[in-house]
Amino acid sequence: MKAFLTLTILLVALITTYAASVWNLPKQTLGTQLDPLPALMLVVALRAPIATIALLAIFASLTQSALSSNPLGLSLLPLYALGFTVHINSHNLSHYRTGSRFALGAAAGAIIPLMSLALLFLINKEPLIGWFSLWQWAAGILSSGLMALIFSPLIGWLDKSVEEQPLAAPFDTTTRIIRYHRFHE
Amino acid sequence: MSNRPYLIATVAVALLALICFTLSPEGSAQAKRVFGSFYTPLFSAQKTAQTTSDYLANQAIPHKTLLKENTELKRQNEILELKLRELSNLSRENRILRQQLKMQPKLEWNPRLSRIVGRDPSNWWRSIQIDLGSSDGVTIDTPVMANGGLIGRVQETYLHRSRVALLGDPICRISATIAETKESGILSSSGGTIFDPTLAELLYLPANTKARAGDKIYTSGFGEVFPRGIHIGKILAVETTSGELTTKASVKLAINPSLLNEVWVLMP
Repeated sequence: MKAFLTLTILLVALITTYAASVWNLPKQTLGTQLDPLPALMLVVALRAPIATIALLAIFASLTQSALSSNPLGLSLLPLYALGFTVHINSHNLSHYRTGSRFALGAAAGAIIPLMSLALLFLINKEPLIGWFSLWQWAAGILSSGLMALIFSPLIGWLDKSVEEQPLAAPFDTTTRIIRYHRFHE
Repeated sequence: MSNRPYLIATVAVALLALICFTLSPEGSAQAKRVFGSFYTPLFSAQKTAQTTSDYLANQAIPHKTLLKENTELKRQNEILELKLRELSNLSRENRILRQQLKMQPKLEWNPRLSRIVGRDPSNWWRSIQIDLGSSDGVTIDTPVMANGGLIGRVQETYLHRSRVALLGDPICRISATIAETKESGILSSSGGTIFDPTLAELLYLPANTKARAGDKIYTSGFGEVFPRGIHIGKILAVETTSGELTTKASVKLAINPSLLNEVWVLMP
């Protein structure tokens, strides 16, 4: 497990969740709260090991519910399910182009609220929903797509900055290091 | 590729989710307090930044303006002191009369100004975070007001923060009385609350209610969670259905909490 990268990802989750809670402008202008976690989980699931994905789902859901009336850890299962699915299919998902990153982020932003709502109904809670919730859902999808575009280079930069990078190929071997993403660009 | 890490991670997450969903309300509140403490440095930094910006903004105000405001505030203070003296006499008289009638002494509330430091990150609840917590004497169910109108009650307390469930949140149901007809009902969220945070519903009114659009609504004081007579809002329309035992009314709340930065917490 990339320990430093995991720690910084958890810190990013904490700060972005806090910022989304404090920043009132989207609520005042669009009538919706932004959730950075689906986009962050998507980006993390594409490049980090399963342990980091599990830790992010646990930490982010527990800290987010501490700021909310949601039951404790409501988004734990939805976030992990998203991360797990994306991680095991990461080689089949095209995520190197802006459009595909946006689409994946948007899909993540669409799935997580639906799964969370389904869980709320399963545990007999009565969340506040109405026709306007469709608009909030649409705005959440759009914002999640945009956030995926921001998180992708950020997590990439953090990975390069906090983790020790592999050295260049040893002189006595003919092995060539082929960067995986070159095949896709 | 080994499947072991995947299996361990999945089992750990599933177990934790099971624990979270089966925790008692007290255990869940305690766990939320623990995980909420991760935000303490961020909230402290926000408070410091806010205090600094307030100080800098005050420094930037011209001396002449401050003097003018000071004179105006002194004049207002004198008027309010006179009114307060009059009210203190009335309060003393009221207390004596209640004693003579052997009625329970009325609770006296001590309002404290608090700043809103955050809002609920999810769209399906309506709650805010304020910067007064259990260390300041805030307890669960403490009423929260703004500009003379009720906005909600404290739902959870942390050491230096509290979460307030706003009127219109499905969790925050309160007993309310219509001033004109003296009829009581339960104020609850409506389908429109999510679109307009100042919309709510007054449920369980009598079937033959005399309430009309424009009637004012106040807290009833039943249950002694809220003091009696705090302004809540006014009735928009009464929805009568034939054959029903009760009637409901749509309500326009007096305060829109989305536009607030500060609130008053009514400490006992």
